[in-house]
Amino acid sequence: MDPFFLLILGGGSAVAFYMAWSIGANDVANSMSTAVGAKAITHKQAVVIAGVLVFLGAVLVGPNVTETIKSEIIKVDIIPLNILVIGFISALLAAAIWATLSTWKEMPISTTHSIIGALMGFGIIAGGVSSVNWMKIGSVAASWVLSPVFGCILAFIVFKIIVKLIFAKENPVKSARVVGPIIIGATAFLISASFLLKTPLSKNFEITNVQALLISLIVAVVISIIGIFLLRKIQAKKEEDYSTVENIFRKLQVITSCYVAFSIGANDVANAIGPVAGIIPIAETGELNFTAPIPVWLLALGGVGIAIGALTWGRKVMKTVGTRITSLTNTRGFSVDFGAATTVLVASKLGMPVSTSHTVVGAVIGVGLARGLEAVDLSVIKKIILSWLLTLPIAAVTCIGIFLCLRMLIG
Amino acid sequence: MKKDDHFRAPVSDTFRRKTPFIQLVEHMCKVREGIGILEQGLINYYKGEYKDFTDIAKKISKIEHEADIIKGNIRNHLPSSLLMPVDKGKFLWALREQDAILDHAENLAEMLDMRHTKIPKELQKVFIEHADLVMDTVKAMEEAVCNIRDLVETGFVKREREQTKEFIYKVHELEWKADKKKYEMNKGIYKLEKKLKPMDVYHLLKITHWVDEIADHAENVADWLRSMIAK
Repeated sequence: MDPFFLLILGGGSAVAFYMAWSIGANDVANSMSTAVGAKAITHKQAVVIAGVLVFLGAVLVGPNVTETIKSEIIKVDIIPLNILVIGFISALLAAAIWATLSTWKEMPISTTHSIIGALMGFGIIAGGVSSVNWMKIGSVAASWVLSPVFGCILAFIVFKIIVKLIFAKENPVKSARVVGPIIIGATAFLISASFLLKTPLSKNFEITNVQALLISLIVAVVISIIGIFLLRKIQAKKEEDYSTVENIFRKLQVITSCYVAFSIGANDVANAIGPVAGIIPIAETGELNFTAPIPVWLLALGGVGIAIGALTWGRKVMKTVGTRITSLTNTRGFSVDFGAATTVLVASKLGMPVSTSHTVVGAVIGVGLARGLEAVDLSVIKKIILSWLLTLPIAAVTCIGIFLCLRMLIG
Repeated sequence: MKKDDHFRAPVSDTFRRKTPFIQLVEHMCKVREGIGILEQGLINYYKGEYKDFTDIAKKISKIEHEADIIKGNIRNHLPSSLLMPVDKGKFLWALREQDAILDHAENLAEMLDMRHTKIPKELQKVFIEHADLVMDTVKAMEEAVCNIRDLVETGFVKREREQTKEFIYKVHELEWKADKKKYEMNKGIYKLEKKLKPMDVYHLLKITHWVDEIADHAENVADWLRSMIAK
């Protein structure tokens, strides 16, 4: 292997790890804090859940989104190889710098948006405006607007279902004992299906789609039965015993927290390793290879990076954010988790890099619109829109700057 | 938060440390406290014991001030960007009327303390009955306000709305009874007008009015609550 490429690969991996760490510290912590705030899990448990399931999500579903970032944003085939390698590294560095800067300024930006913006900048400087795949950028940008809206609608529906089927009933606790396991079974089905449908896992074990669905269905039923078993003894202590209903959902929210962590891993790992995945075939064989699978070690590197981010700094973030959002009770937290995680997971399956933290905000607003929260501050929407408008140009310009410097140094 | 804790946390930006309904209930607790003190003081006053009344007036005034701070705090932290499950304007009107209860309690205590008017023996019973009815009206209102917790928890289901409405009907009924009692009191005062000094008559009439106003404002709170929870 060419020592130059080796150097680039090493440097790239280091930046990727740093980026993964930053995602773990901020975005994962942010999304898991809904469970911490609702006191379903402690921030220590959240760290463990995040560590394990983010990793699994990254390795199993992560490749879909990574594919998009490494080869579909810019037309890689019309750019010379050397330039492409430098460009990918610059894009990653630019995105990481912007992520750090915005963390310092406490801007609600998305790492997903910065990496796309940075790649766009590189495309423009390296091959002109036409080398950027604008159609793809358009559809990705549309998914940024759609994902919070989708999360909002889903959370709204889930909360309304909880209200209609549990709170509106004569004996809410009894209804929760029936409805809870059913919803949790549905959650288990979604997690398990995303594990098995068209993932490396299913390829290795030669599981067909029908089999995957069947296995998922069995898993769902088993989880539901376990749920029924665990909840069977819970009785209402008095009439209108809403706190017992919340307690039931506190248990169920442990599962949805796993769901959140899994889907974040699936979507966000690409932000860190996507560009490196693009240069690995070049480093190994000296030529571009679109069909080369993303190496598992790279996915694992991203997964571990995110997990360590959640473990180190993310822990502090979860603790702080968790204490700030205590007015989010378990039924609400459950709705938010379910809405956001489902949206992010579907996006990951479609290969759409979306912002997990913005989707969570959308889900919170959804519960608010369903009259589930005493107060939701919508001014955050303004901040998010501002960050959308700022992130693309800033990441693009930073990337161009870094790219020019690197080319002078190396080229 | 310490200055060195920098992180991107858009989720936490959507939440507030204290939610408006919790603060409304907090404010109501101040009302409960103030009215509780007034109740005992007023009945003693009616019975002709003025010994501790200055103290009571001072205590109520202090509570009124504390409630004002809570009210200000709620008002100052309801930006237009805040999404609430109820109409913000109606919410603020309910708060305003709830605060008016304490304003009137404070006013009543201060005014009573300025001139210790002896309640004629014949009127004492009806005066005390009236005071009880007014206090009961406020207590019914408190129950209605407290039920807002369950309303929010259940996402405003019909059953809880009906419950709140029942509390509100109770407020209306008690207020109506208090009104009736007020007319009885006034009649009684006029009957004794030859016997009493004009200034006494004036002050007695004023007392009936001041006390009754407290029930009126409790009823207003209930009305705003009613329109707040309407679908």
